[in-house]
Amino acid sequence: MIEIRNIYKSFDQKEVIRNISKVFNQGQTNLIIGRSGSGKTVLLKSIVGLYEVDNGQILYDNRDFTSMSPKLRKHLRQEMGMVFQGGALFDSLTVEQNIRFPLDMFSLLSPVEKQKQVDFCLERVNISDANKLYPSEISGGMQKRVAIARSIVMNPKYLFCDEPNSGLDPETSMVIDELIHSITVDLQITTIINTHDMNSVMEIGDNILFISEGEMCWEGNRKEVLYADNHKLQEFVFANKQYQKIRDEKMEGK
Amino acid sequence: MLRVFSKPERHSLYLRQTFNEIENLGVKSVGIVAVISLFMGGIMTLQVAYNMTNPLLPTTLIGLGNRDSLILEFSSTIMGLIMAGKIGSNITSEIGSMKVTEQIDSLEIMGVNSAGYLILPKIIAVVLMFPLLYILSVFFGIIGGMIVGPAVGAVTLPDYLNGIQFSFNPYYVTFSLIKCLVFGFLIASISAFFGYTVEGGAFDVGTASTRAVVNTNIMILVWDLILTQLLL
Repeated sequence: MIEIRNIYKSFDQKEVIRNISKVFNQGQTNLIIGRSGSGKTVLLKSIVGLYEVDNGQILYDNRDFTSMSPKLRKHLRQEMGMVFQGGALFDSLTVEQNIRFPLDMFSLLSPVEKQKQVDFCLERVNISDANKLYPSEISGGMQKRVAIARSIVMNPKYLFCDEPNSGLDPETSMVIDELIHSITVDLQITTIINTHDMNSVMEIGDNILFISEGEMCWEGNRKEVLYADNHKLQEFVFANKQYQKIRDEKMEGK
Repeated sequence: MLRVFSKPERHSLYLRQTFNEIENLGVKSVGIVAVISLFMGGIMTLQVAYNMTNPLLPTTLIGLGNRDSLILEFSSTIMGLIMAGKIGSNITSEIGSMKVTEQIDSLEIMGVNSAGYLILPKIIAVVLMFPLLYILSVFFGIIGGMIVGPAVGAVTLPDYLNGIQFSFNPYYVTFSLIKCLVFGFLIASISAFFGYTVEGGAFDVGTASTRAVVNTNIMILVWDLILTQLLL
């Protein structure tokens, strides 16, 4: 479980995140949603410590990340996995070497055990046949899968995904969503996903935080999101008229 | 800088990375160093020959002039300026691209000291390889002079060979090797700094590369002046 309490973050006097508090549950896909520029990525990067928060607390299973020494933070980071918007795979390494990298750096497993773990992750994301290719030789969807495989190779307790569907077609997006959701449930990890993709929200939104202009506007789950009485959320959700239609049909059905 | 020199997470991986960098930054520069040095030595020999208008001066001085110019300045400083362009821009653009594509963030999230893992092996590789490239440069420069001088009739081969062996001061080599260590550190560290601190996209990586090369060149010349005053 990850809990954030009264988070504030600003850049050059401009406040980007204001007073956000939320509990992200274990074994659930927790979504941070909002328009582009609403502060989602800044919030996620603040949670993982890539940005230092100005104020507030971040608790990983009640361990206060904000007041931790750099040494302890480094240790805690080995329990984290992150999938970046562009994949962030190392260009000079093959798919297999990318996935093996965290194991080579931190694990004390034997080479055979490492290979076994890499093969398991490759199989888990269905890219076993691409293991010898370089990131530039595979598609965007496959790169995301490799990034997911790399993020779970150390058996993390916390998984973070920044716009995992950006640049992907709807079908591949759905595959990636399902993959992240099944990994979250199977491994019982705490997953936080940044997205503005309403399909993802409706598919895997177990626990949703909606932010607008750096402020928390609404929280709930995918069953509630269509019926929320929140003007900003409605503007966001119903920007795609299809969801307004779905809601209207469901309400008429009721 | 402290993070660059902090204790590595896994020594074997850093060592492997260092050998990769020695190959990428050092071994792959041998070709360009050889070509430039051959021409540099040839041109220096011609320049010295054309400036020796006094018939009382022995032509053995042509070989000596070429040798000392290469040992003292050309193979260290001029090669340093050229390597700042080749190796320096390579380092800045590689690290800068990793920064803007979030690969450095990715290392940080894994708990890897990205500054140490990416920069330290490059500094070690360049500091180790630059003196070797210097020695190669002197060698090829002297060969260049040996080919061009007799070929255009500026000096006979025996006179040139006598010249390059005449009045040799080994301290000149020691002095230049010290300069190479300093220049190697400047090239790798300044370029890495500009790459690691880049923000934005591809355009900013290009700008950072240019700034890195310009700043490294200036620092090489400043340190050349300081070391020459202190050591020679």
